Amino acid sequence: MAVRLFSKLKVLPEFRNVSFASSAAAPATLSDFDLQHKTPVIRKQKLIPKAHYGGRHAVTMLPGGGIGPECMGYVRDIFKYIGAPVDFEVVDIDPTMDNDDDVQYAITTIKRNGVGLKGNIETKSEAAYVTSRNVALRNELDMYAYILNCKSFPGVPTRHKDIDVVIIRQNTEGEYAMLEHESVNGVIESMKVVTASNSERVARFAFEFAKRNGRKKVTTVHKANIMKLSDGLFLETSRRMAKEYPDIEHNDMIIDNCCMQLVAKPHQFDVMLMTNLYGSIVSNVVCGLLGGAGLLSGRNYGDHYAVFEPGTRNTGTAIAGKNIANPVAMINASIDMLEHLGHFFHADLLKRAVYKTINEDRILTPDVGGTATSTEVVNAIIGNIGL
Amino acid sequence: MSRNYIKELLKPFRESKLFEGLSKWLAPSSGGSAGVVRGRENEVPAGRAGSAAYSTGVRRVTLIPGHGIGPEITVAVQKIFEAAKVPIEWDEVDVTAVRGPDGKFGIPQKAIDSVNTNKIGLKGPLMTPVGKGYRSLNLALRKEFDLYANVRPCKSLDGIKTLYDDVDVVTIRENTEGEYSGIEHEIVDGVVQSIKLITEEASKRVAEFAFQFATENNRKKVTAVHKANIMRMSDGLFLRCCRDVATKYPDIKFEERYLDTVCLNMVQDPSKFDVLVMPNLYGDIMSDMCSGLVGGLGLTPSGNIGKNGALFESVHGTAPDIAGKDLANPTALLLSAIMMLRHLQLNEHADRVQNACYEVLREGKALTGDLGGTGKCSDYTNAVISKLN
Repeated sequence: MAVRLFSKLKVLPEFRNVSFASSAAAPATLSDFDLQHKTPVIRKQKLIPKAHYGGRHAVTMLPGGGIGPECMGYVRDIFKYIGAPVDFEVVDIDPTMDNDDDVQYAITTIKRNGVGLKGNIETKSEAAYVTSRNVALRNELDMYAYILNCKSFPGVPTRHKDIDVVIIRQNTEGEYAMLEHESVNGVIESMKVVTASNSERVARFAFEFAKRNGRKKVTTVHKANIMKLSDGLFLETSRRMAKEYPDIEHNDMIIDNCCMQLVAKPHQFDVMLMTNLYGSIVSNVVCGLLGGAGLLSGRNYGDHYAVFEPGTRNTGTAIAGKNIANPVAMINASIDMLEHLGHFFHADLLKRAVYKTINEDRILTPDVGGTATSTEVVNAIIGNIGL
Repeated sequence: MSRNYIKELLKPFRESKLFEGLSKWLAPSSGGSAGVVRGRENEVPAGRAGSAAYSTGVRRVTLIPGHGIGPEITVAVQKIFEAAKVPIEWDEVDVTAVRGPDGKFGIPQKAIDSVNTNKIGLKGPLMTPVGKGYRSLNLALRKEFDLYANVRPCKSLDGIKTLYDDVDVVTIRENTEGEYSGIEHEIVDGVVQSIKLITEEASKRVAEFAFQFATENNRKKVTAVHKANIMRMSDGLFLRCCRDVATKYPDIKFEERYLDTVCLNMVQDPSKFDVLVMPNLYGDIMSDMCSGLVGGLGLTPSGNIGKNGALFESVHGTAPDIAGKDLANPTALLLSAIMMLRHLQLNEHADRVQNACYEVLREGKALTGDLGGTGKCSDYTNAVISKLN
């Protein structure tokens, strides 16, 4: 239906010489008016001019719950120390509120700033009609790809060494569509939605990423032998995309086999592409292999916005306030953010300091086998800046 | 269709005093109520009283050799059991698909009747032919015998060196519904939806089984694995059923964990977990991941428990490349057969065969190719038989 409608638009002067692989691949240079009126099948984004004054960027900060606020505090201290040209706009989201006003405000600020740094937002309400706040944020901002760059830290004691895997996960649909209903008393249906346009966008993202970063292989992880239509569509799309990138090797693997291979032989993987739930599972497995939830950071990318957060989206309520949380994940997220904004000097400064602290000085928190407190780690990082 | 027909035929017999008496004699421990046709409220999984047995105490078990390496490993298990003088009589059936009256390929009637009579089965690896009209044979068996729980104990084996030494986890997975209900549609061009079905009845059943299993096998803790922060209603229902059942077993510790947390912790410290109970998809992934921790599918037993019986199987593939060459590893099928013996409460025999098997693995002299050795399947079998005394 979308394809038929789109073919009628081809008579318009803007589209006469342009061919799109899919409606979602239209360039982001169309004016708002054109976007609104002439391309009804393209996802509409209400764009607001981005804030960038005098070389300084404004970034939305969402502390979230659990260990979020303290880690954000550490990030702010470090940024003050290195003089990073970033101003944080803090938005606190109250987990007990049932309405979405604060989430909407947070979304507006991210649209204005273009970039966000977030912890894990709690959604205390267990009612079925309240969408998980994290999911709402991602869907609203249409951040369809999530990248988790998993590189082993030599200084952290783990069973597997030298892992270097990139996990690219579809971030908005799949099993996290949050469409559930109780058809009969005691029978509940939950829908998993897979669309061709989203699958194509994330597949293209994965292959472009692989190409630009010199990666050799993309593995699609799926369960198409059982979920023939949904995962089948995802798999077909990635196979079709693979044909456009003949230099990059592509293979696919079923999710259970993939998990088994990950715990035994993780070095066979390079870039992994998958839907939402499998992404959650695989990223947690790989983070576990690498030493825990406290080290890696993930990036949510959309066409217009980017939000950075700790890799495994854990709230860490059990260790909140005890000064044993691992601040490295949040600091890595802030490094990613600086790189995204183009402040490479500050990003490199921090990266070297973090590398030295973890791998050479081995000042680590208890969850990765060390004995230091969070503040000790942060002070060590600050001490290592510039060395 | 055939099952209901047989049920109808057997109803007068089942309800008669004769059957009650028989079942009391066969399985005095189950309280004598196992034989009576029961309502839905107090479903007890896998009534052992129902399994066919001769008056000499020899049990009949349906044997499905399967394809590929299936026949060789089944023969190996039969040889070992004969040497160990285990009181089991094998009833071999073939489940190669035949065309049914509706034109679709399915399991032959003889196999169905056999398992319905014997109530216990041991299955080798099956291969579903690719093509239209062939339903997955595994799925057909599961539907036919209403196997609702899949149990996979993953224990680190001495002699098989993996990066994880202290794994002792049992994954119990709901086998009938969840994400694998197979209900999918294309709503509009390019938008596909797949429905995940969770029912209260199935969740209660599998939770009940999990706690019973934990009690019978001296397990301390049951962990419910879910994703109720995202799938609030469906996993929320599953969680509620688990909580309800947990209140009836106060001796066993119950906890609930998110799936990502379990994955994270499992690869760092598997000793944190004991029995895991979860819906279909998570169970599939977790059970395969746990078997990866202990050395792969070639070393993991698996059992499917149903209302009307139990089917124990090896979960590896048919390995057509080594079929017929006497290179196959029968450990998975052997461990599943040992699980079956425990299910039939033949614990002494189970212990004997298990100790022999563990001895051989520990020694490491007669291991097959996939475990890094150079032995043949028959060498391995003979080694286990020699250790049986």
